[in-house]
Amino acid sequence: MKKSILILSIVLVSVVTQAQDAASVFRAAGTPENPKVQVSWNRYYTHSGITEICKKLAAAHPDLVKLSSIGKSYQGREMWLLTVTDFKKGKPEEKPGFYIDGNIHSNEIQGSEMALYTAWYLAETFKDVAFIKELLADKVFYIVPTINPDARDHYMKEPNSPHSPRSGVIPVDNDRDGLIDEDGFDDLNGDGHITMMIRKSPTGRMKKDPNDSRRLIPAKPDEQGEYEMLGFEGLDNDGDGRVNEDGTGFYDPNRDWGWKWQPNHIQGGAYKYPFSIPENRNVRDFVMAHPNIAGAQSFHNSGGMLLRGPGAAEDADSYNNDDVRIYDAIGKKGELLIPGYRYLVVHKDLYTAWGGELDWFNSGRGIFTFSNELFTSYMYFNRQGSGQEDMYAFDQSLLFGDAIVPWQEYDHPQFGKIEIGGVKKNFTRADPGFLLESDAHRNMAFCIYHAYHMPKLVVEEMTEKSLGGGLTEITVVITNKRMIPTHSSIDLRYKIERPDYISIQGPKVIAGMVVENRDHNIAREQKNNPNVLEVNNIPGMGSVTVRWIVSGAKNYTIKVDSRKGGVVTRGK
Amino acid sequence: MKYRILTGLFLLACAQVGFGQQYSNHVQVSQRVKSLESAHGSLVKLRSLAKTAGGKDIWVLEIGSGNRDNNPAVVVAGGVEGSLILSQELALGFAERLLAGASTDSVKALLASTAFYVFPNVSPDATEQYFAKVRYERSGNASATDDDRDGKINEDPFEDLNNDGLITMVRVEDATGRWKTHPADARIMVQANTEKGEQGKYILISEGTDTDKDGKFNEDGEGGVHFNKNLTFDPPYFEKGAGEHPVSEVETRAVLDYLYDRFNVFAVIAFGPANNLSEPWKYDRSKAGRIATGILEQDVKYNKLASELYKQHVKQKDAPAASPQKGDFVQWAYFHYGRQSFSTPGWWAPKFEVPKDSASAAKYKPNADKNVDVDFIRWAEREGQDVFVNWQKINHPDFPGKVAEAGGFKPFVKTTPPASAITKLTDEHTKFIIALAQNKPQVDLVNLKTESLDNGVSRVTVTLQNKGGFPAIAQVARNNNFVKLVKVNLVLSKDQTIFGGNKITLLNELDAGESKELTWLIKGKGKITLEAGAPQSGVKKVDVNL
Repeated sequence: MKKSILILSIVLVSVVTQAQDAASVFRAAGTPENPKVQVSWNRYYTHSGITEICKKLAAAHPDLVKLSSIGKSYQGREMWLLTVTDFKKGKPEEKPGFYIDGNIHSNEIQGSEMALYTAWYLAETFKDVAFIKELLADKVFYIVPTINPDARDHYMKEPNSPHSPRSGVIPVDNDRDGLIDEDGFDDLNGDGHITMMIRKSPTGRMKKDPNDSRRLIPAKPDEQGEYEMLGFEGLDNDGDGRVNEDGTGFYDPNRDWGWKWQPNHIQGGAYKYPFSIPENRNVRDFVMAHPNIAGAQSFHNSGGMLLRGPGAAEDADSYNNDDVRIYDAIGKKGELLIPGYRYLVVHKDLYTAWGGELDWFNSGRGIFTFSNELFTSYMYFNRQGSGQEDMYAFDQSLLFGDAIVPWQEYDHPQFGKIEIGGVKKNFTRADPGFLLESDAHRNMAFCIYHAYHMPKLVVEEMTEKSLGGGLTEITVVITNKRMIPTHSSIDLRYKIERPDYISIQGPKVIAGMVVENRDHNIAREQKNNPNVLEVNNIPGMGSVTVRWIVSGAKNYTIKVDSRKGGVVTRGK
Repeated sequence: MKYRILTGLFLLACAQVGFGQQYSNHVQVSQRVKSLESAHGSLVKLRSLAKTAGGKDIWVLEIGSGNRDNNPAVVVAGGVEGSLILSQELALGFAERLLAGASTDSVKALLASTAFYVFPNVSPDATEQYFAKVRYERSGNASATDDDRDGKINEDPFEDLNNDGLITMVRVEDATGRWKTHPADARIMVQANTEKGEQGKYILISEGTDTDKDGKFNEDGEGGVHFNKNLTFDPPYFEKGAGEHPVSEVETRAVLDYLYDRFNVFAVIAFGPANNLSEPWKYDRSKAGRIATGILEQDVKYNKLASELYKQHVKQKDAPAASPQKGDFVQWAYFHYGRQSFSTPGWWAPKFEVPKDSASAAKYKPNADKNVDVDFIRWAEREGQDVFVNWQKINHPDFPGKVAEAGGFKPFVKTTPPASAITKLTDEHTKFIIALAQNKPQVDLVNLKTESLDNGVSRVTVTLQNKGGFPAIAQVARNNNFVKLVKVNLVLSKDQTIFGGNKITLLNELDAGESKELTWLIKGKGKITLEAGAPQSGVKKVDVNL
């Protein structure tokens, strides 16, 4: 018996890891019908599951995917990085980079699957889809599926609600009483989910919905209620008169970044100082070491939002019109690509958040960055305005009750006779299984659109004019074929990245200049080191013109070396 | 041979500790902290929190007897601004004097109830420039930084054009220059006031050439991030010395990690450029918004208390106003760390007055605009100090054919007193720190009363009191997660139950002198224990038998 189970599981494993017989599948448009790495995109993966998928992708696509770690988490888990590009075409660090991470909030899990899906899709469609082939020749994707792996596993393996832990797992004294994590949730009914506690009460203002008794609704103003709500499942473990006031964590990893950071008494959730959380520190080190990153996405959940900064009204100045125009173009496109999602600004449409990741990327590094809040109640029945009623109906009709725990009586040591039940941790914020792949694909498409519009520099024109006496004037036009400039306006304001270098190799350079107006022949000479001309920016959908006066102009090479625009050369 | 080394060390120790007449480099500071630990093992623990990019230790001396981390603590920090060389003498000198007096009753009692965490120097990379072959005032550590953010690192440093081992200034006669000499003293350079029709005669630049030919002089030399610009309160972004973001450096992280773990700290004393001890911070309603940028109203009186103690013990007068600066330590310690936070440069040049008698006064031309440099050089020369390099002609490659001269104030002289002043300054500052520590917040339980009611029920009443001079929690820290609440915990024996009152009471304020009555109804006989306090205010325990 045991032996046959073993054989069976070996067979199963080999089926999962190998491509299927080509004769037995037929391609659905836009999806690799016979991928080298088979992954089910209708379920979630723990850190070890993510590790396995990452390793398989790197092993199956050695010229497209490389696996490394950006460092270890607080508890010592590897923070995996997939570098996805056409490694046969150019050096990755000389291509504009698009950074994706997920799961910064540990309960916001599906960002990891969406990040992984993106890596998988790029690698598996490379051979068939010309657009992807060109994209990976031009750009590099840096994908870190989870930047909170410890608490991801905590969320999945320990009792939690849809909203917990959110934090990482570094122990913190939340209630300042000198004890650490002494009064967290208690899974009273032992089902692995932290649901709600309610109690019958003559003064309660809630009642059970007559159409679905699993749902608690407010009594009408003139109606007697039946129940009062007592909060999430738990006990007063430390006898201080409060329940669940000091559990796992708590700090908010997304209030820990190095732009306009504020301490916890101003910005709830802030830890000690920017990048005081080790996982964020690893991301910071990686980003600082990869100045080619020009676009970024940090996946969150939920609500169907395509968010840009700033996180605080006081910081509105950090996003000026030039940059906002580009954000608007990408955001509006996103609303089309992902029905039900809206393009919003954090501080205006959501709340004030100091020290968020997207603000550091944008304002501290000059990287155009979105945070997508994945999954939205729109997806229950593909209609606006879905509320709790639709949520319960969706569970009943499409999940057949799998996402909600029915009320169950319980004798609570402090509250007496209560009932426990409600939404399981994997519902309301995480995509239900059958919607996950679709949501992942659309969000990936949004990232690809964003990534596609990182700079693409071309040496467009090289014109020679003889000046007599063996001197030649060479005029070179560099164009940027995409929307995003090599330097955002905040980058230009603070000189975050160095200027772009445009150089000529070959002839003897007598003088070099940046041409400001070619028609009227207005140029600014660069006296020092004229071989390597420095330009502050190569604007999106725009160009810069430079000029050299040289002697001996037979053969030469023009090289454009831009941190965020990549390195391109053209010879004559 | 060995004997000679020992004698040499002994002499060195006398020179530095016994007479305190020299400034110490990092090697010497390291020797001094190690010898403190070996001489006072039971009272001192020495730790190196980190090695800087320049390979230097961030030392901290933990001082106190018994289980010192359980006592309210004072942090003393030197090197907050690396160019203030005196600061490490004051911090380390405090530790040395405190321990030298550890056998006296008053210091013994203080060390049994108070801890001191002393950082001699949090900017050791920068301070070392004082002892280098070419000296200049430096606050940046040894991290490689691109100060002018042009993509090149350290490409335009100072140069010692006149080979005197000092980086001073260069003035170049030029019709477009904006500088002229001061009418009271032609050595002092001032900007021409064009509104008054004055004309400049000189270009004034730092000592060096425009190595990278970008039109700017010495804008990117060796010297990285300033500790005192690298903290989280109102940080300067992308300025020279600020770092790529707040707390980017090994030193700042090490110091903050260490302090955030020490909940027992109630006050931080920084020897740095800001001064809120000669003149305490004032309350300004317009700075008290959601993100406060000025001291909070109820904290003002404690800054006043510290200032009074300071002026009682430190006798220098006429301190120049010295506001805090962006990203600095003193504001971090108050606004973000949530502790009492005080700072002083420790020394400033005394005010110079032209002598009253007319013979002496005649030597001085009138300093009509009260130029501080003119006053400073007059004071220094009266004291017999050599603070100035006289202007002398040099050949400056960037100004061929022009008259160029190197000269100006020697580096460090304006902030660093002669070494002979160290002893007195250290003595005075030591007395101040001890006085401040003796005012620490102190939670006590008094007026304990037990009443026996019927049927084995007792009423216990007690008054919680802060008998210290400082509050248990500053107003700025009432909602700060890194400052513990004052907790009153009732520990019951078996078979006892509470009918009234809270088992645990948490308070986020207890001002100096404030008291609060607490009462419980308890059923059952035997011992109960009341514990009250917080790490920064000490914990008082009382056993009661019912």
